[in-house]
Amino acid sequence: MDRIDMHRLKQGEVNLGTSIMAVQFDGGVVIGADSRTTTGSYIANRVTDKLTFLHDRIYCCRSGSAADTQAIADFGHYYLQMQAQVLGSAPSVLTAAAIMEKMCYQNKDQLSAGIIVAGWDEKAGPSVYNIPLGGGLFRQPWAIGGSGSTYVYGYCDATYQEGWGKDETVNFVKNTLALAMSRDGSSGGCIRMCVITKDGVERKFIPGDQLPRFWEGKEILGEATQKPPAAISAVSDVAPMAVEV
Amino acid sequence: MSIMEYNGGSVIAMVGKDCVAIASDLRLGNQALGISSNFQKIFPVTDRIYLGLPGLATDVTTLRETFRYRVNMYTIKEEREIEPETFAHLVSSTLYERRFGPYFIEPVMAGLSRSATGGFKPFIAATDLIGCLNFAKDFVVAGTASSKLYGVAEGLWEPDLDPEQLFETISQTMLNAVDRDAYSGWGVVVHVIEKDKVTTRTLKGRMD
Amino acid sequence: MAAAAVYSNPGFDFSNLTRNNFLAEKGIPLPKATSTGTTIVGCIFEDGIILGADTRATEGPIVADKNCEKIHYITESIRCCGAGTAADTEFVTNLISSNMELHGLTHGRKPRVVTAMTMLKQYLFRYQGHVGAALVLGGVDSTGPNLFTIAPHGSTDKLPYVTMGSGSLAAMAVFESYWRPNMSRADALQLVKDAISAGIFNDLGSGSNVDACIITANHTEMLRNVEMPNERVQKERSYVFRKGTTAWKKEDIKKLVLSEEVTPISGEAMDTD
Repeated sequence: MDRIDMHRLKQGEVNLGTSIMAVQFDGGVVIGADSRTTTGSYIANRVTDKLTFLHDRIYCCRSGSAADTQAIADFGHYYLQMQAQVLGSAPSVLTAAAIMEKMCYQNKDQLSAGIIVAGWDEKAGPSVYNIPLGGGLFRQPWAIGGSGSTYVYGYCDATYQEGWGKDETVNFVKNTLALAMSRDGSSGGCIRMCVITKDGVERKFIPGDQLPRFWEGKEILGEATQKPPAAISAVSDVAPMAVEV
Repeated sequence: MSIMEYNGGSVIAMVGKDCVAIASDLRLGNQALGISSNFQKIFPVTDRIYLGLPGLATDVTTLRETFRYRVNMYTIKEEREIEPETFAHLVSSTLYERRFGPYFIEPVMAGLSRSATGGFKPFIAATDLIGCLNFAKDFVVAGTASSKLYGVAEGLWEPDLDPEQLFETISQTMLNAVDRDAYSGWGVVVHVIEKDKVTTRTLKGRMD
Repeated sequence: MAAAAVYSNPGFDFSNLTRNNFLAEKGIPLPKATSTGTTIVGCIFEDGIILGADTRATEGPIVADKNCEKIHYITESIRCCGAGTAADTEFVTNLISSNMELHGLTHGRKPRVVTAMTMLKQYLFRYQGHVGAALVLGGVDSTGPNLFTIAPHGSTDKLPYVTMGSGSLAAMAVFESYWRPNMSRADALQLVKDAISAGIFNDLGSGSNVDACIITANHTEMLRNVEMPNERVQKERSYVFRKGTTAWKKEDIKKLVLSEEVTPISGEAMDTD
């Protein structure tokens, strides 16, 4: 998959330098994303919600330009609402993914958007569709996207297995995103996840200080890395700053 | 070189007690070469509104005609004279219409607006080249000498100047600022607008 | 449609572009438009929204306006702070304010903050960032208090406290340190004042005074110049020139008609009933 080309973003454009992911399992899909939005080196939003509602059981994960992906998602949301009214039934994930892909492909010269559409429908059950930078529609059992994704392709290839249940899938998404966020400077903050099944959509939130942690060099650097520094509070009992080893 | 420096020129407007003044230089240049020492940049819009158009000379002429047309249309349709506040918004919209291909003009307006009680209230305003209005309570400046005019006016202006004092203040501000600007000068014209008369004076200034 | 054409066609006029591009090709840069190198903020408190702004407008390194208004009217209970190209923020908020009024009239109920947000983001997205308006939109509607930022390219964020403009980093530092959920009105106003002051004193693009606007469910209070930390000191001496200081070559005095009295010549006035 193409990497998000930072130079394609216009001067001062708000960027979702992102880590996003969607994985299919037996009963549904798990989608997840980090929560960082940047303008250059400034974090414009540290609790962004990149998991965007398209229809009752269909969501998308957005990466690339915030303005472009919001506009595409808004249009997709509008289109599916109209479609549902006309057909009198819920649209399929493929329909949703196809209209999103059409937008991305037909306006490829003006857009920088990498989108993953995922959800559950009556016909196909759970499904994940990847729409990379210039368009194209690929059904995959799992998909990752955004600038952070490049760091974790190997991890996903090595870890993913068919036949997982919900909890295993949630853990896989959580761990993958945490690894991507720790390596990618323009991803970070907290993890937001959604579990979409026949029965509904369940949201999950992992705060930034409770992310899964992996090898951080404790053996070499000693105890200094063991605990994250306590958040400095505005109250009077501020402890003096610890000197790092 | 900026487009504004192609022909040169500066305008300033100031508020006094029950009066306003507007002044400009008289130079028209072709970059460093002087072409005319009697190039008027201030035009009467109504009896009590004057409009200064410093910037690219071709746009000075175009905009003068555009505003003459639009103010005439307003007067015919409304069957009354335009008020300075309304005129300021007319100028602003006219310039913003060309947001993506602007006229190289930074207009300055001065006038007396009729208050509800029938009296007159001083009014000045200026816009940038795409029509962002600036209603100041003291003075507004524009043109190649604007940075110098800001400095001098900031030092010399004070509230409630009578028409004669206002004339001296605006004249000295203009003359001294323009002497330090290579693209403005070659004479200065000052208009002092009062409720019952408009005094126009051409000043003696350096001609180099 | 002759009547409509008397003024002008709606939308932008691009007819000067050829000429201006020709000049630009010769290496002549476009003059700078007034920009509001700004600090604007907004935050949610226990019963509504407080918006804040500084009052400096700049033209390159020059302070063009020392006390401009950056909190724009959208509806009675929705306001919008603008940063970026001053003319764009002024016109875009005016346009959306007008469309919101019409929207309210056609639907017979008060339009919501999200409506204004959607109108603004769609307009800005259409112009692909060329309309340079960075906005903080806040208000209270039937769904409660709402606060958004809208970037020039048309992306939006919904947050409990937001900052924008060149002073946004200074102001955000204050918010990140001291903002708490459900603050009281007085505490929240003080926080907004502190955030704007941080911008005024630490960012060169921001300066002069603090404006604030408190919006609650049934009242909107515009606090123009709530804080004036940069008032000019009184001049110790007057610099008024004596009459006759300036020499002039020519004088022309135009007398104006102040009042006129109409005397009817014929006996009776026309019956207009």
